[in-house]
Amino acid sequence: MSMEKNKLRSAVAGGAAGLINGFFGGGGGMLLVPLLARWRGLGDRRAFATSVAVILPLCALSAGIYFLRGGLALSAALPYLLGGLAGGTLGGVLFKRLNMTWLRRGFALLILYAGVRAAFFS
Amino acid sequence: MAAFLAGLAAGVLSGFGVGGGTLLLIYMTVFAGMPQTLAQGINLLYFLPTAAMALPAHVKNGFVERSVLLPAVLSGLVGTALAAWAATALDTALLHRLFGGFLICVGLSELFRRPVGKGVSPDGCGDRSDSPPK
Repeated sequence: MSMEKNKLRSAVAGGAAGLINGFFGGGGGMLLVPLLARWRGLGDRRAFATSVAVILPLCALSAGIYFLRGGLALSAALPYLLGGLAGGTLGGVLFKRLNMTWLRRGFALLILYAGVRAAFFS
Repeated sequence: MAAFLAGLAAGVLSGFGVGGGTLLLIYMTVFAGMPQTLAQGINLLYFLPTAAMALPAHVKNGFVERSVLLPAVLSGLVGTALAAWAATALDTALLHRLFGGFLICVGLSELFRRPVGKGVSPDGCGDRSDSPPK
């Protein structure tokens, strides 16, 4: 595949992930990982790692915009940030002990439940 | 305390690539009743330290595909700025409903997702072509 085509595909994938990331404040990686896997032929791990590298600057920019325009309060964010740091460490320990298939299915059901509640019953 | 625990659970899931950020957004907006825009801002902020800590290891292990970075980041920055601008201008209740629609799409695609390919371990973490591209 030509270099130009690869560049274009990367740019389209990044742009689409950016739109989702900015609009919903997350979820860009959920789009970018499969796109990089399909369009650029990256393996799961490479797609995941590359996606983190792409999304990080996007999140920094949109967090700045939310801070300036959306009244983002740092004090409200603090307990979540602290929990996240602890969770990241714990995740490393649990990594090999969880059944990923059932974890994903349970997660998908939770997302669907929350989606229906947010879309129709809010 | 509940906020700390939600952050903890999301942090655990993030490491698995299962979408910890989505879980955190769901907790904040659907269960804790936080305004959508504030929750989204917190979620973006939440990602920064986690990703910044994970990234050096990914780079060191050679898993970051460098040829993707420049075009994807440039167009991504434009896309994310426009979308963040639009989202913060919207009514938060409407944004919450749209977020619900987005979750339904994500949930369905996650539930009916096909296996990625042959030779991949069932947990989705196996090696397919994790070698440098040709």
